[in-house]
Amino acid sequence: MSSIIHVQDLVKTFKIYHDHKGYLGAIRNLFDRKYDLVHAVDQINFDIHPGELVGYIGPNGAGKSTTIKMLTGLLVPTSGEVRVNGYIPWKERKTYVKHIGAVFGQRTTLWWDLPLSDSLTLLQHIYEIPDPLYKKNLAMFREILELDAFMNTPVRSLSLGQRMRADLCAAMLHDPKLVFLDEPTIGLDVVAKERIREFIQFINRERGTTILLTTHDIADVAKLCERVMIIDHGKIVFDGKLDHLLRTYGGRRFLSVQFAEIYPEPVLENADIIKMEGNNVVYSFMRDTVSASHLIHKLSESYRIADLEVNDQPIEDTIREIYEKQLLYNHNHDKKNPAS
Amino acid sequence: MNAFLATVRISFRRQLTYRAANLSGLATNLMFGFFRASVLIALYREQPSVNGLTLQGAITYAGLTQAMIGYLSFFHWYELMHTVYDGQVGSDLLKPLDYFLYWLGVDAGRALGTLLIRGVPLFLVFALFYDVVLPLSLLQWGAFLLSLLFALLISFGWRFMVNLASFWTPNAIGIGRFAFGLSWTFSGFFFPLALFPDWLAEFSRLSPFGASVYIPIQVFIGNVSGIELTKSLIIQLTWIVILVILDHIILNRGVRKLVIQGG
Repeated sequence: MSSIIHVQDLVKTFKIYHDHKGYLGAIRNLFDRKYDLVHAVDQINFDIHPGELVGYIGPNGAGKSTTIKMLTGLLVPTSGEVRVNGYIPWKERKTYVKHIGAVFGQRTTLWWDLPLSDSLTLLQHIYEIPDPLYKKNLAMFREILELDAFMNTPVRSLSLGQRMRADLCAAMLHDPKLVFLDEPTIGLDVVAKERIREFIQFINRERGTTILLTTHDIADVAKLCERVMIIDHGKIVFDGKLDHLLRTYGGRRFLSVQFAEIYPEPVLENADIIKMEGNNVVYSFMRDTVSASHLIHKLSESYRIADLEVNDQPIEDTIREIYEKQLLYNHNHDKKNPAS
Repeated sequence: MNAFLATVRISFRRQLTYRAANLSGLATNLMFGFFRASVLIALYREQPSVNGLTLQGAITYAGLTQAMIGYLSFFHWYELMHTVYDGQVGSDLLKPLDYFLYWLGVDAGRALGTLLIRGVPLFLVFALFYDVVLPLSLLQWGAFLLSLLFALLISFGWRFMVNLASFWTPNAIGIGRFAFGLSWTFSGFFFPLALFPDWLAEFSRLSPFGASVYIPIQVFIGNVSGIELTKSLIIQLTWIVILVILDHIILNRGVRKLVIQGG
């Protein structure tokens, strides 16, 4: 199967100038500016196949938006190869962008002061969408995204959730094969997030649209994406199935115990006490070091237990731990090809 | 309908929704129009004409320039700059539409809306209070409308170029103030060019600023006709061609810089 996005040895390096300070420094800056080279994207490789829905995550400043900008043609790589839908994005931008859609959650492409319907009509002309197709798509999105209630409302008066639905519709009207979604659920409440996710799932499953989703909300990824790529320090440190990631790195579990009496120091081998309040104690342990049943057995040998509970670490915390401790980065940064 | 016309239309409609801004703009332009007319009447008290410009011509001049301020928007336009600074430019570049044409469409819609809501009413009110000169023939009206359209294209070409500075510097507002100061001074908005010293008047007349503001007025008042009229329109066309070419050169460099160094 040939890929819709092909990225090979992609590098983007920025010059970050640091200026001399003070008045004299300001003059020196004119002649002699020092700079650091920052590798925002550092030798990344991946392929995305038609119909995939891929989550692209990573901490702030990891290189996510730099990658997206190169994929959409807004940024020219320092070196390496990008082919999207057969195009080299930055070379053939004007033709290329006809075939893609993009939603940036932080901003809108809609005309702020006019009713939503006006913006959608303009898009029909800009993308030269034939009338029957436009009508068919609009009718479908009106229904699924429930746009009718605010079709004639100025965009500026829409709630964030409504505006995001409108922006999704705007990005999909011309039947793009590939859609870039950048933080499509940012700032939304739980219900609104869920609707957006359902819609994303719908266009991917029912219409076969390829989607690259960048997000900070791991729940988006957990709900939608089979495949996830993690970028950190400009390198792809993980590319594979989400549950594989969680099995490998998310091994932390918690054992909450309520003792029948108060023990001053209820220590347990292979487990750390992370919280202790009277007779309530929470232990943390790693799945691959010790089993829960073994710990419970050990506990009941030495102490009297009233109640207990075992929990897995939430996905969010696992990912945060990966970011914070740079687990994957340290693990992979000597290897030529990151984990796949 | 093609994408350009659709852009003009949506921008026109947007301009019409700004009721309060349009009305207060109209009131301000009208007030300054009356003020300028009073000053001119005081200046002309003893003389029938200055440098060949009659009082009636000078008052018409004042009324027309006041009516064209909003339409040409020659002295204050930072719309494109703002989209560069808030990142909207990224979305605009992701549309399958020529960036220059897109903005020309946006500006043409704005100008058309402003002309209908602010320009025409202002001049009508002005004509009620003062004795103004009007074009005498259909041909002259036609020539005026054509030169008014050219004027917008020159004004846009200049403003687009000034706004492109934002592709290079994080604060191009200062550059804009300076550049729009230039267009204000040399356009003849401030004072009829006929009242300038000859060399300065000639310079202004040949500059894109004079070509944008001064020429349509000359056509309206009837100071140019025949060969002179053709020459004036050719001066305007020449500036349009020069500015459009410059705009494209600068735009291409700006986009290249943007896509190489990031937003």
